[in-house]
Amino acid sequence: MVFLSVINWARCRGPDEFWRKRRIFRLAAHYIGRRRNCYSIAVRNVHRALVYATKARKLKKEDMKSLWDVRITAACEQHNITLFSLREGLDRANIMLDRKSLSDLASWEPKTFEALAAVAKYKLETDRFIDGQDKCHPTGINLNLKDVMLEAWLNEKKK
Amino acid sequence: MSANNLFLRSAFVRAPLKNGVGRYVCQLQRIVFKFCKSNGASRGMRDFIEQDLVDFSKDNPGVVVYLKPRRHRGPVIVGEYLNGDRLWMSVHNKTHEEIVKWVELFRTQQGNNWNSRLRKYQYTNHPSVQGPWTPFAFKDPELNTAELPDVRFGSNNRLPATATEQLRLMFEKQKLDELKTAE
Repeated sequence: MVFLSVINWARCRGPDEFWRKRRIFRLAAHYIGRRRNCYSIAVRNVHRALVYATKARKLKKEDMKSLWDVRITAACEQHNITLFSLREGLDRANIMLDRKSLSDLASWEPKTFEALAAVAKYKLETDRFIDGQDKCHPTGINLNLKDVMLEAWLNEKKK
Repeated sequence: MSANNLFLRSAFVRAPLKNGVGRYVCQLQRIVFKFCKSNGASRGMRDFIEQDLVDFSKDNPGVVVYLKPRRHRGPVIVGEYLNGDRLWMSVHNKTHEEIVKWVELFRTQQGNNWNSRLRKYQYTNHPSVQGPWTPFAFKDPELNTAELPDVRFGSNNRLPATATEQLRLMFEKQKLDELKTAE
């Protein structure tokens, strides 16, 4: 006797299951307890982690921007200028430095940042621009810009 | 992919044994070009072998080049590095120019970076030329020899602007605006 239909009743799960679950377990390797070892618990936590990672890409940029702003503001306070005035002065003088560069200079090259603040202040003075924000004078030293020929450099046409 | 992943660790850009600081050693040990002599997918590969391969071998005497013509197989570049990594790359239907660029990448790589995520794309042992900022960077040097408490250094001079100061500033601003509108 040959039983042909019995074999049709036997169920076999897909051959892919091990590898499908392995993709999840590799992402959950550093979790604690059953979240690391049991698939149905791990998959929920892994999906949440991936959603957090997606959302955080935008948040990281915002966090870095605010960190750089804080650092530049702190450096500006030492030189008697506000962040707004510094940006305005550097823009008018055609010095295109972004927040990251300015914050790196403020941390690692303090003298360069002092010079940049002085350039911004001089440019705003010559442009007759007053920033009404309270700067709690006096702290910073005004650099001697007479020997630097700053007016000539600021007035030359930039492409 | 989270930052804490055990299989994709975060790493900084590094040169093995400070390669390049003194002498530079090419990290590519062997490169294998596998291609078909007649199939269309290997055309770019064949062009590369005809035109640029001899120059590549002459310029890099430390790299062993193997050619494997294999019928009915797709074109492949396999690179083996001094740290033991083995990189397999299919160049199926890639143009001659693209293969030149990929081979240049193979030559200048130091191995497989499949399990590390670069945190920054720069690395330096000397981040500062002028000396990093310290809290004493812009303070009066006389602070070093002063006997604290000192009247000068302890004075309360970081006061907010008085009402008179604010009014004066507003007046100056108004005058400047009038001058600008007149212009």
